[in-house]
Amino acid sequence: MRVVELAGGSPAAYCTHLLAGYGAEVVRVEGHGDQTWTLSEDEAIYLLPGKDRIALGEDPVGELGQLVAAADAVVADGLPGRYDVPAWRQANPALVAVTIAPFGQTGPDRHQRADDLIAFAAGGTMSLTGDPGSTPLITGGSQAMYFAGLHAFSALLAAYYGSVIHGEGAWVDLSLQECLAGALELYGPAAANGEPAALRFGNYHRAVWAVYPCADGYAGVFCLERQVPALFALIGDPVLREERFRDPLQRQAHDEELSAYVLSFMIEHTGDELTRLGAEHRIPFGKVRTPAELIAGHALHERGFFDHVTTSDGHVLPVPGRPFIPFDWSGGGAVPAVQPAMATTVAQRWQSR
Amino acid sequence: MTSSPFTGIRVADLSMMWAGPFATKLLGEQGAEVLKIESPTAWDNIRTLIPQPGKADPWNSSYYFNTYNRAKKSVTLDLAQAQGRQVFLELLAHCDVLVENYRADVLDRLDLGYDVLQAANPRLIIVSMAGFGKTGPDRGLVGFGPVIEQMSGLAALTGYEGEDVPYKCGVSYGDPVAGVAAAGAVVLGLLQRRRTGVGMVVDLAQREVAATLAGSAFVSAARDPHVVHHGNRHPQSAVAPRGCYRCADEARLYRNAEYSLLPARAVDEQWIAVSVLDDTMWSALAALLGQPAWAVLSLADRVARHDELDEAIAAWCAPLDAAEAVATLRDHAIAASRVLDTVAIHDDPHLRSRGFWIQLQHPRMDPDWRQPGPSWRFMNADTRLERPAPLFGEHTRPVPRQLLGYDDARLDELHASNVIGNEPINPGVG
Repeated sequence: MRVVELAGGSPAAYCTHLLAGYGAEVVRVEGHGDQTWTLSEDEAIYLLPGKDRIALGEDPVGELGQLVAAADAVVADGLPGRYDVPAWRQANPALVAVTIAPFGQTGPDRHQRADDLIAFAAGGTMSLTGDPGSTPLITGGSQAMYFAGLHAFSALLAAYYGSVIHGEGAWVDLSLQECLAGALELYGPAAANGEPAALRFGNYHRAVWAVYPCADGYAGVFCLERQVPALFALIGDPVLREERFRDPLQRQAHDEELSAYVLSFMIEHTGDELTRLGAEHRIPFGKVRTPAELIAGHALHERGFFDHVTTSDGHVLPVPGRPFIPFDWSGGGAVPAVQPAMATTVAQRWQSR
Repeated sequence: MTSSPFTGIRVADLSMMWAGPFATKLLGEQGAEVLKIESPTAWDNIRTLIPQPGKADPWNSSYYFNTYNRAKKSVTLDLAQAQGRQVFLELLAHCDVLVENYRADVLDRLDLGYDVLQAANPRLIIVSMAGFGKTGPDRGLVGFGPVIEQMSGLAALTGYEGEDVPYKCGVSYGDPVAGVAAAGAVVLGLLQRRRTGVGMVVDLAQREVAATLAGSAFVSAARDPHVVHHGNRHPQSAVAPRGCYRCADEARLYRNAEYSLLPARAVDEQWIAVSVLDDTMWSALAALLGQPAWAVLSLADRVARHDELDEAIAAWCAPLDAAEAVATLRDHAIAASRVLDTVAIHDDPHLRSRGFWIQLQHPRMDPDWRQPGPSWRFMNADTRLERPAPLFGEHTRPVPRQLLGYDDARLDELHASNVIGNEPINPGVG
């Protein structure tokens, strides 16, 4: 698969990072078109290895047209209206075009600029995140951008499959706002059912669905009803055999009291102890782990998860690799330099196959 | 594209809760025939997770279940019984894809290991979505979306400025993330099968998918292993001021407020988000704030005086209606949005204009009940959805009749043994 990435921010770059890892030939066109979004230095280290980076020459529109005409797919992010996608599709009917915009390609807000914060707020998730007595809180790591980039990866593959089967390409319009608004768990559907706006509940929804301090940081316990008996048995306090805790309806009225029992258990155990006990007793415990802890641990290394990127100053860094196996994956390497005026050469190479 | 990409593809769906059903919803929306298979004794928990009072069959009336299981058919089969497994394997012979998000050891415990599944259909693409993968030291862990978020490094990145406490996302974020990736894995499998002619097993560890969405934080960790929380401010100070500010509260009436089981606000507080992306935006905002002298502040100045600027923006917002505040900011070309809550988002003029909220008539739901449309918008294509979420077991008889040639006598026999059923046995709280 031959893919053109029109350089912008992390949505397109993350999408094509995954495609390149799984074997697509990705050419990232730098410095042309929308620059609404850009990559941070760390994002560039993570997302650019494995791609060719090129700049356009004296006829940028014509060169880009040549490149896209020879491609299987093109991915662009940022505000709409910067590219003539219909003309590209007319010249190359099998082309799959995926455009990722803050608010999509149509509608009254389509030209509104937005970064990760604005998109996260518009998508509804932010209203649910953070403490009820404090400010709504963005989720770390630019998730409006990356979640849309992940959608772009899978949507592009779906459209490409359709192109292979039906012989006709497609233009997929992705909106950061809609990607989030379509994933509001039960809270969005509840409001659509005429119920009140859901409260953001921070780390605590109820005693058996919450994040607690543990002996060496923070850990969560997230039990469905069927897992509550195992949790109570593990905590071991006889009081938890009482009907007011065992019965899920009565338990609501005693939630605060119950949370004290759970807290006293959690805080006596380390995150590693809790996850081990979770596996033994089928209880959903999870330790809040930092990226550094995951790099230092052995579980992800044993699964061969990490790629290794060489930075410009010679450091070799582990970064997340393939999202799933067993497809051939080629990740890591170095951040490539931008090659000038290479679009025509690449287009001719692609056309010759 | 005039045809849906997955027309002609049949998916056996053993997934439950949110991650797997999110994946198969995406496949169904794009034309796949999805057979959601549940046991009469072990059905998808979210059917009854938030039961709606007054419904005779609450397992068919869940807005949660019915949102994420549209575009599917429902087939009941008890895989704990040998007869159920036999029927399942016969069905698999007619499927292209199997998606499951059981804990890593469950299929083996059901005597449905990969060797058995692949013997039933060598062209089958199996996507396993165990939280921590099918191999490795963590494969035995139990995990839902919030656990995945914590164990992947994502939750550690979220928190209020100056505080150490990590925060979970307001939704079980690990689930939709894994679901979207699983849909991509299915397509890669289909493409590979076209080349090789044989199926495969995809091992998708939900934790690993989530970690890929925090990749740059792993790069940062090499320089400094400690995570610093920035709240809503820009983590690299490339945008300032940036934050979330409270506007005037809004009074609302709710149609079904009296039986809501979810925590809800005592008042409907309204917030907006503002990001000053460049000096031009800042100059406009300084004027709006009545502080024209601030227009000359550089980005570095604004970062240094962020607390002071936040106070000024908050004071400007406080008496305003949120929609009015955002309209004013946007009129001045400043990036802003309401922090749309779960009610306001259904009335957002932009989403309404794009036809994002759709109505699929469902026999147990209110006629005006709405759900989000497909996030993958195929331009110039007719991708209207026609199939709402199925009733429990709605297609239990038609599917084996059509695919396996079963007659009524055979189906009655399976029903008498509780291998199939029309409704859950002993339904309780999910």
